[in-house]
Amino acid sequence: MKATWNRIVQTLKGRRSTPLSEAGTEPVLDAESQSPLAADVRGADAPRLNWAYLLPTARTLRWLAAGAVVTAAGLMVYRNPPVQHLAQGDLGVRLNQFTGAVSLWRDGSVWVVPGLHTVRVFSLRDQSYRPEAMRQATGSAPLQSVEGLSLGLDLSVRYALDPNSPAVKAGNLPDNVGADIVEPAVQGLVYKVFARYTVREIFSSKRAEISQIIETELRARLAADGVTLRSLQIGKVDLPAEYRRGMDSLLAEELASEKMRYTLELKDKRVRETELDANADKVRREVAAEAAAREQVIAAKAQEEAMKHVLPFKQRQIEQRQLEAEAERVARVKAAEGSAQARRIEANGEADARQKLAEAEAYRMDRVGKVNAEQMAREGALVTKHPLLIQKTLADKLSDKIQVIIAPPPTNGDFIGAALLGGHRNAQAGAAQAAAVAEDATTTQAVEQ
Amino acid sequence: MNATFATLLAAVASAAVTVAAEAAPQPSPSSQGSAIVVQDQASLRAAPRDGAQQQASLWQGEVLEVRGERLDYLQVWDHKRERGGFIRASDVRRVALTEAEGPALLAVMRFVQDTPGAEALGIGLTAAYLQAAPAKALAGVEGAQAFDTLGTFADRLARRASVAVPGKASGATLSAHLDVANGYGVRFATYEVEGRMQVCYEGEAFRRLLAMPVADAEQRARAALALTRPECINPDLPAHERAKLTTWQAEVLERVDVASLPSYLRNRVQMRRASVWGAAAFQQARKNAADPAVAAAAARALTELSGVSKADLPDEDQSAYNDAAMRVSAVRWALVPAAVPAAAPVATAAGARPTLLTVPGAPGETCVLLVDAQHSAKAPLLRRCTYGVVWIASASTNREGTAVALAVQPMEGWRELWVLRKTEGGWLADVLPPAATTPETGVAEWAGWVPGGQQMLVAREARGQGRYRKSFEVVRLDGLTTERVTGDVSALPLFQRWQDPAWKRQTLSLR
Repeated sequence: MKATWNRIVQTLKGRRSTPLSEAGTEPVLDAESQSPLAADVRGADAPRLNWAYLLPTARTLRWLAAGAVVTAAGLMVYRNPPVQHLAQGDLGVRLNQFTGAVSLWRDGSVWVVPGLHTVRVFSLRDQSYRPEAMRQATGSAPLQSVEGLSLGLDLSVRYALDPNSPAVKAGNLPDNVGADIVEPAVQGLVYKVFARYTVREIFSSKRAEISQIIETELRARLAADGVTLRSLQIGKVDLPAEYRRGMDSLLAEELASEKMRYTLELKDKRVRETELDANADKVRREVAAEAAAREQVIAAKAQEEAMKHVLPFKQRQIEQRQLEAEAERVARVKAAEGSAQARRIEANGEADARQKLAEAEAYRMDRVGKVNAEQMAREGALVTKHPLLIQKTLADKLSDKIQVIIAPPPTNGDFIGAALLGGHRNAQAGAAQAAAVAEDATTTQAVEQ
Repeated sequence: MNATFATLLAAVASAAVTVAAEAAPQPSPSSQGSAIVVQDQASLRAAPRDGAQQQASLWQGEVLEVRGERLDYLQVWDHKRERGGFIRASDVRRVALTEAEGPALLAVMRFVQDTPGAEALGIGLTAAYLQAAPAKALAGVEGAQAFDTLGTFADRLARRASVAVPGKASGATLSAHLDVANGYGVRFATYEVEGRMQVCYEGEAFRRLLAMPVADAEQRARAALALTRPECINPDLPAHERAKLTTWQAEVLERVDVASLPSYLRNRVQMRRASVWGAAAFQQARKNAADPAVAAAAARALTELSGVSKADLPDEDQSAYNDAAMRVSAVRWALVPAAVPAAAPVATAAGARPTLLTVPGAPGETCVLLVDAQHSAKAPLLRRCTYGVVWIASASTNREGTAVALAVQPMEGWRELWVLRKTEGGWLADVLPPAATTPETGVAEWAGWVPGGQQMLVAREARGQGRYRKSFEVVRLDGLTTERVTGDVSALPLFQRWQDPAWKRQTLSLR
């Protein structure tokens, strides 16, 4: 097309400047090569415009007609392209009108020859269906329970086309899958299923079961029509107002009962927990006590060991002390014995010595006695022979001790010492007395001097 | 009849007068105040006369409620004996227990604080002060002082009661004083130690004092020393309880800031700390001797002991210093890491020199194995087990390889010396205790080998049965009999010549 257009443009250019060259394939080069000259020519011819040139020639008209045809064709092609673009997630089902062959096309472009092909585009994306008519118990098409009560249901069905199913591959899908397949299937199933249950079951106890049944059956039904059920969600159940009130109180009681059950279970578990804690504590304390007792036993054993190590030394010390005491005892006995023996020897010696001394004394006394006796015999004889020797001796002995002798005067006027001397020797005694007095007087004088 | 009626009327009138007299409003106790007995054996008499019958004999510190005055006597009520009477005013000190009287009581308390024999009176005065003083004052410096004084009185009274004083009179006085203190809530614990009763203050006032932020360092030191008195540890305390108590004592002593204390008090705190940390090291070593906490505790004990200034040590603290040194010395091998792996190649190089290994035996038991190049741990030369702590780092073999010395600590503060020696019949193990007395505190240390393999040098230090003995001995290996003994190393040339340099460097017996 571009080439055609260029050609038209070039044609128009050539018409205004110079006649087109015969060689239709070289007009551009020629025009370019001749353009300076053409400019000069235009510059020269400008003041003199030839209006005849403005009228189309037959050749130009032919070209124009051809161009118009081409343009119309192009425009038609542009307006009705033989290619259909499929967005991501779309499924194109192309039907050959002549052969009846069906082909499936996914993302991208598909050739659609007008008059030959027809293409229907389906979305493979998930779609959802929420039946509004059955949402309220007072709605236009509420569900009916087995008791005949109307109830509303917030149902949400999510589905998508299955490109691999035979129905899709065969191209038997209706144009509106939602309205023509899903809705009838859902409504045909839901009303039937809910009619089998009581309101209470629907509301509380059998909700999961109902959901499960609907989901299973609906999945099978839709699968047959090339639709995959992604999920089914049963939301709020709208009950009749009176029933709802009674139901709520009943449920509240059930809940309270249930709660009480759980409370009791919880308390029971708490009791068990306390028991287990107490047991654990008991075990821990037992273990701690056991460990402490063992530790104490070990410490006691260590102490006993230390004591045991001391004992031999103590024993040895005691033995040593005993030996020392024994040795001291023996030493003392020996010393005492020695001392006794020494004393005995000393005593013997003493006795012997004393005997000897006594004997010597006896001998001495004997000898002295004998000598004395002899002396006395001699003195006796001498006294007998000379009686006045006694007085003389007396006077000699008394002379240095006695200065004055007081004697009673003789009655007969005799010498005063006559009583001492004896009466029959007065004569000799008087002379002796006189001599003694004389001597005493001499001594007295000497003392006085 | 008339006379009888008149008599009856008179009797009724008399009874009515008596009842009326008794029902007359008594002066309120608060107006008359209380009185604290200041003298021992003060007489509570039935009438305000010296010759009146004696109701009871009161002791210093007892508190009486004053209900009136007669002549120079006070009419009082003794709540403890539930008896009233008259007491001479000079035998008591009257206190009003009002806030205004607080400073005066505090002054009297300070005066009595250092008076021996006036502990019960002091406790009574302190109790009066604690009641009279406002809460604000009690939380301040005065409060700290009051608690310090109370604790000091109680502690001194307990010490007085523990010391056996001959004489019946002193015993009766002590009992009465303890009874008075008990009446004020001051509690005492009593333990039997070596056949005599040890009375110990339970220490609540000191605990309160330690919790007060205003208490100064000296007060804290006094409190900590009183709370950690070693003789006041219950001798029947189980081992694990004792370990807990030791930890607590260490914490209490940590609360004292020794930097600002007088030197003698600092010495006391440091000596106590050394003892406590020594005990802590042993208690931890009993669980695991290789625990780093053991070495840390022993190092702490040694640091505290080395911080004691000997020049500032009064005579009365000398025995505490010796005890602390012995306790630290008992665990000093914890500071030396066990070098058994390092010793193995040495043993191999030296040939048949025996070395020691330890393996666990029965629960709590450690077995010492003597091995050499020919005898492995499976067939050792000697195996001996003990329930004590084996300080394996202390193992020392003599030059001849015929004897090995090892330190083993069976009890806290009591370290024995094991001597393993080679005889003709094989190896034998002998144990040399610190002293041949009941184990209390003591250390027997190997100090060197005398060449010839027949003798060794031993340093022994012990306190037992009230006697302290330190000796340096030349011991014969055969039978561990002492050949020579001296109290001074320089007096024994053999000892001086052969003593081990490592022992001399590390020992505490040459302090």
